[in-house]
Amino acid sequence: MTETSRWRRLPVWLFWSLATIVLWGAWGLVSKIASGGVDAYVNQLLYTAGLAPLLVFVALTVRRRSRRESSASGEGSESQEKRAARARGVFWAFLTGILGGVGNLAFFQAMVKGGKASVVAPVTALFPMVTVLLALVFLKERLGRVQWVGLGLAFVAIYLLSA
Amino acid sequence: MHVWLGFAVLALVLWGITGVTQKLSTNRISSERSFLWFCWAMVALSAAVLVVARPHWGLATGVVVCSVAGGALNGLGAWTSFRALESGGKASIVISLISLYPLLTVVLAVLLLGERLTWTQSAGAVAAIAAAILLSLEAPQTKQA
Repeated sequence: MTETSRWRRLPVWLFWSLATIVLWGAWGLVSKIASGGVDAYVNQLLYTAGLAPLLVFVALTVRRRSRRESSASGEGSESQEKRAARARGVFWAFLTGILGGVGNLAFFQAMVKGGKASVVAPVTALFPMVTVLLALVFLKERLGRVQWVGLGLAFVAIYLLSA
Repeated sequence: MHVWLGFAVLALVLWGITGVTQKLSTNRISSERSFLWFCWAMVALSAAVLVVARPHWGLATGVVVCSVAGGALNGLGAWTSFRALESGGKASIVISLISLYPLLTVVLAVLLLGERLTWTQSAGAVAAIAAAILLSLEAPQTKQA
């Protein structure tokens, strides 16, 4: 099998998943390098500058799609209920950004304070344990046996990594 | 407790909460629109940070490049993860696979930054990645009591 056909056989979702691993994996590395010469606040400013081109791209995409959808369904046909749901969705997205940004500040500060990239990245990657715990407590979701094992293993991992 | 560990756990907790808030958002609006507002929140946060930040000229070029690249890499990573989910990948598989990203950071930090992990920390890193994968696997559907 040639290299080209091998790539063609790669499912699209797998390509995007591998791209995510590379991008986020490299993010941990560059954050550690940057932590040697800049504080967490300035890093957040520069980080946002790096995010800006993607923001513009996504904003244009969303705008194009909104125009297409509104011309297809007729202007002003959106019900009040739909508008309210959208406003709530925007609120939660905005809150996600604020919490994520403050999380970024803490992540960067961990590195500024001497945390190794090879330790801070695995510790912070355990964030699904909090999501799972919140879903368990507030959303009354049930956990499978595998998730319980994952939760236990997460605590063990933090203990080992902090040694 | 090490100071850095306290900040790392704080990041873990805050990012963990975003797992819920993001779901509450994407239940109501598209992931693209949700991501857009996520980015606007970052801009708003940065504007607030300007009040306390003391940006100064003379930062080393390499440091500036790495900080800016950090924003681009993290943002693009979020975008590619959405694409992975939207292009037919099963959520439990995609998220489990993506959970491997700290492994790459560990490898790069050891190879390029010369970081060394103790045996205990190495075991911790492996346990952390395994835990993240297990946590991302969806619980089987159970009958309502």
